[in-house]
Amino acid sequence: MAKDATPARPLSPHLQIWRFTAPMAASITHRGTGVVLYGGTVLLVCWLVALELHPPGFERIAAFANSAVGLIIIAGYVWALSFHLLNGLRHLYWDSGRGLAMRTVRIMSWAIYAAATALAAIVMWAGFFSGPA
Amino acid sequence: MSQKGTSSFIILRACAVLLFPLSVWFLIKVVSHLGGNYLEARAFVAQPLNGLLLGAFIIIGAWHMRIGAAEIIFDYVHSWARDVLLFVNWLVSLLLIGGAGWAIYMISFAG
Ligand code: HEM
Repeated sequence: MAKDATPARPLSPHLQIWRFTAPMAASITHRGTGVVLYGGTVLLVCWLVALELHPPGFERIAAFANSAVGLIIIAGYVWALSFHLLNGLRHLYWDSGRGLAMRTVRIMSWAIYAAATALAAIVMWAGFFSGPA
Repeated sequence: MSQKGTSSFIILRACAVLLFPLSVWFLIKVVSHLGGNYLEARAFVAQPLNGLLLGAFIIIGAWHMRIGAAEIIFDYVHSWARDVLLFVNWLVSLLLIGGAGWAIYMISFAG
C-alpha cells in the first residue's frame, strides 16, 4: 500500500480509459462480493445472537427470512459466497504464480460466473424451494 | 497497512484457505436452516459440531473480512476519514467475533 496519496496524483486504474473485459468484471465482482459478505456476516451474527437472547425477535427474523425480500437477501448472499469462494480459489492459485495466461484468465472468468450461478441455484433450490424434506 | 503489508497479505490468505471448506459446509448445511423457526434453528446450532464449524466460519471469516475491508479503505479513502473507518472496521469485526463466540458458546456448549 502506498503512503498517503496526494489527491492531485492520477490514480490507476483509469476511470476514463477502459474497455469491458470479463477478467475486469470478475475482479470488481470479487471486491463487491467481499463487501456483500461483510454485510451478510453482520446479519448472520444478528441471527445467532437473537437465537440465544430473544426468541420472539428470532421468530420475526425467521419470518423475514422467508419473505420475498428476505429470500432475495439470502439468495444474494449465497451467490456472493459462491462467487467469492470460487474466485478466491483462483486468487490463491494465481498467488502460486500459475494460471496467469491471458486466455486462461479470460475463460476462467466466464466459467466462474457460470459455476457460481449454478452453485447458488442448487443451494437455494435445496434449501428453500424444494418443498418439505 | 504501513509496515504490515506482508503479514496482512499472508493472514488474509491463510484465513481464505481455512474458509474454503468452511464455506462449502455453510452452503450445504447451514443455508437451509436460515429460514427455520426458533426450535429448529436452535436444535441445529446446539449440536457441538455445528456450533464449532459455524463459530469457525464466522470468526475466521470476520478476521479475513477485516483485513480485506482495510485494503479497500486504503485504496479509496485518503483523508482523515481513513483512520475513522479503519477503527470502525476493527470494532465491527471484534463485535462480530465476540457476539458469535458468545452466542454459540451459550447455545452449543453451555446449555
Ligand atoms: C465469510 C466469508 C468471506 C468474507 C466476509 C470475505 C470478505 C472479503 C473481503 C472484504 C475482501 C477484500 C476484497 C478486495 O480487497 O477487493 C476479500 C478478499 C479475498 N478473499 Fe474473501 N471473504 C470471505 C470468504 C472467502 C473465501 C471462502 C475465500 C477463498 C476460497 C476467500 C478468498 C479471498 C481472497 C484470495 C481475497 C484477496 C483478493 C485480492 O487479492 O484482491 N474469501 N474477502
